[in-house]
Amino acid sequence: MAKKQKTSWIVWLRRLAQTGFFLLFCYLFLQTVYHPINQAGRGVTFFFNLDPLVALNSWLASHVLVGAMLLSLVTLLVTLVCGRWFCGWVCPFGALHNFFTSLRGGPAKQKLEAGGYHPWQKAKYYLLVAFLVAALLGADVVGWLDPFSFFFRSLSTSIYPAINKALVAVFTWVYDANPGVGPVRLTLVTEPVYGFLRKYLLAATQPYYLGSLLIGSLFVAVVALNFWRARFWCRYVCPLGGLLGVVGKNPLVRLNKHQEKCNNCRLCLVDCQGGAAPDRGWRPSECFYCWNCKSDCPAQAITFNAGGRPDAH
Amino acid sequence: MNHFSKWIADFLHPPKEARLDLGRRAVLGAGLAGVGAKLLFGVAPEASKRTFNPALIRPPGALGEDDFLARCIRCGECMKVCPTNAIHPASLEGGFGGLWTPLVVTSLGYCDYECNLCSQVCPTRAIRQIEVAEKQKIKIGLAYIDRSRCLPWAYSKTCIVCEEHCPTPKKAIWFEEVEVRNIQGEKLTVKQPRVDAELCIGCGICEVKCPVKAPAAVRVTSVGESRNPENQMLLSSDSYGVG
Amino acid sequence: MAHIDRRNFLKAGVTAGAGFGVGLLGPQSLIPSPQPPALSIAHYKSSPADPDGIAEEAKRLTRQAVDALGGMGRFVSKGNVVWIKPDIGWDRRPEQAATTNPDVVATLVEMCYQAGAKKVLVSDNPCNPARLSYPRSGIQPAAEKAGAEVPFLDERKFRRMSLNGKVLKEWEVYQDIVEADRLINVPIAKNHNLCLATLGMKNLMGVIGGARNRLHQDLGGTLADLAAFLKPRLVVLDAIRVLTANGPVGGNLADVKRKDTLVAGVDQVAVDAVGATLLGYKPDSIGYIVQGSARGLGAMDFKSLSPRQIEV
Repeated sequence: MAKKQKTSWIVWLRRLAQTGFFLLFCYLFLQTVYHPINQAGRGVTFFFNLDPLVALNSWLASHVLVGAMLLSLVTLLVTLVCGRWFCGWVCPFGALHNFFTSLRGGPAKQKLEAGGYHPWQKAKYYLLVAFLVAALLGADVVGWLDPFSFFFRSLSTSIYPAINKALVAVFTWVYDANPGVGPVRLTLVTEPVYGFLRKYLLAATQPYYLGSLLIGSLFVAVVALNFWRARFWCRYVCPLGGLLGVVGKNPLVRLNKHQEKCNNCRLCLVDCQGGAAPDRGWRPSECFYCWNCKSDCPAQAITFNAGGRPDAH
Repeated sequence: MNHFSKWIADFLHPPKEARLDLGRRAVLGAGLAGVGAKLLFGVAPEASKRTFNPALIRPPGALGEDDFLARCIRCGECMKVCPTNAIHPASLEGGFGGLWTPLVVTSLGYCDYECNLCSQVCPTRAIRQIEVAEKQKIKIGLAYIDRSRCLPWAYSKTCIVCEEHCPTPKKAIWFEEVEVRNIQGEKLTVKQPRVDAELCIGCGICEVKCPVKAPAAVRVTSVGESRNPENQMLLSSDSYGVG
Repeated sequence: MAHIDRRNFLKAGVTAGAGFGVGLLGPQSLIPSPQPPALSIAHYKSSPADPDGIAEEAKRLTRQAVDALGGMGRFVSKGNVVWIKPDIGWDRRPEQAATTNPDVVATLVEMCYQAGAKKVLVSDNPCNPARLSYPRSGIQPAAEKAGAEVPFLDERKFRRMSLNGKVLKEWEVYQDIVEADRLINVPIAKNHNLCLATLGMKNLMGVIGGARNRLHQDLGGTLADLAAFLKPRLVVLDAIRVLTANGPVGGNLADVKRKDTLVAGVDQVAVDAVGATLLGYKPDSIGYIVQGSARGLGAMDFKSLSPRQIEV
């Protein structure tokens, strides 16, 4: 196997973008609370407004479009030019899956098999069709699998309450048990930390939600599936990914392979996030423009530019 | 520029790698699945308008059920922002199609009288953006006293916690002072609560604060909800223009 | 819990001893020196309609009513931790008279600091969510501006304590409030359908947690138990705007009446008796006042305390 290359600067930029949007989503999630007096934190709706799947389904099912949803046109326009950049750079749910995928261990060969293109990746397009037809008939159920809905709903009903409960339990235990020696007590440290967390992270009162077990279990299962197939949700399930794949199947910015440099080592496949098969032909509708293949190629055979050709066979 | 013009041309004649390879029959199957789903959802009893689910209490400002289900993306923003933890994801209360749509569950939380946060956050306006003054006039359901469990009705004990918490400017719970006997045979006067069906907005604070547990002695069901002209019981309800 | 009993003992000792200690000093002391009054009732001569006018009224009434008792220095000593307990129970605006007037609270905070308090805290265990009622009542911003800490209560700090009352043997009480040096109870006078009026003794329900919704099965007995256990050092009853119907939550501005009065006293039963009278009820028709008086917690016949009556 050829040696792993030094990571390209653009990959670092992409990771920064993913981290940034992920943290932004989490921050806006935490802000979706009561602010005095009677103001709701609505920042997270920015993500829903960027989401063309929500806009399309809402319009199909109710014949009405909320004005702010026109922001999703920006997403679509950029997708026309740069394919599924959104999945690679912006989507916070995708960033989560990317993170768990990167935790996978095992030799490169295993990753090759799990990472390459799989025909089941077409499932997300069929799901998309089913949702769109149902919406046309008035049943707007795309929210079940829209990535932002899925993520926010899981966080709000299950994951965040669980984290809240765990943190409160730890600090309560320390408060009650009050371990320490003489005047030097652990609570001298933990209580100010707890005060800070109560103000900025923890919920005002512990929330409990019906149906949280199912919702939380689905979330954990979907995230865990990244250990079986890289970015499982993004490749096989996500209807937004499907929509962006359809819109972005003919991008202007394309993978360009210098065939004369390529020695078929298939290292480009090991970290391919989307399952876009950069080793044989490249599928634009699956590519997240993560730039891992370009960064990993020991022969620098891969570049991305306008009008590139994959020319693998 | 020649890349650019090739790109435009490729929209009209997609090259090999741009094709998605979706089987025609598979796409048709997916479409039929969508149709099938809609049909399946449509045969839940709630869709018949003959019956209504007592637990299908939607947040104030919610559209009529058909429109609501056409807009709600089950994102959970309303569930997160509700300061009283009153909004929960539905299971089957709204039929299959209503899975994970928001439900006000009055055994777990109540709708605060001065709050309209859910209507502020809904990204698709399935819950309309309404001012607090309008929200306060919307009925999301109606409370009823369970006389077999209520302390002054069934146990000869004083209470009135439900009335104490009722937020409507003129209380939607009133009392009859009744002389009862307790188990020792002594006579005492207790205030027995009754709900004023015209005034009650179904917020549920009575159910949440009632000292009787599992279930409370005063509970809310969806009948009388403003957004549904069919789910009514009073002659004076708006649909017939009486009162 | 010995700690709690000692604090109650100390509280009882001071209020009883205040009158006697002075008289032991020698021949001149055979003429008893004037004792500071136990009760003051301050009434504002005008009834301003504008918010600034009402704020001014609240501040002046509060200062005068407490000064008439001998000043805040009588109740707060240098270095004290003072806990002020207003009614912040409901998500209502100040003019709806469901919560204590914020300027009354803010003035008391200032007076405590002027008397040398180390820290002044203001809080309540409300019926609507605290995050909503604290700001909308105006009490959190006003008290914080005056320099108080206005915490949301911490679930972990409700501890089961022995009340050893006639009805309540034990209950969950907020530890920090019980351990504070001074407790100042600042209720607002409101109509209540079960006990006719909610005043100071009922306001103490905001110091406890647990299943408070059960206390109504014997409000007379349970509130008397609470009052006996907590024995606030000072009670200041806001009767500037009172809720005369549909209390204690109210909502209709037509139910709010201006009494432009502030009552301050060390006798929590007497203060409540004045409040009941202001709302139009006879003190002996209110269960917790009768029981409080019967148990020696205070005087239902407030006139017997020779209250200082002031016109401001």
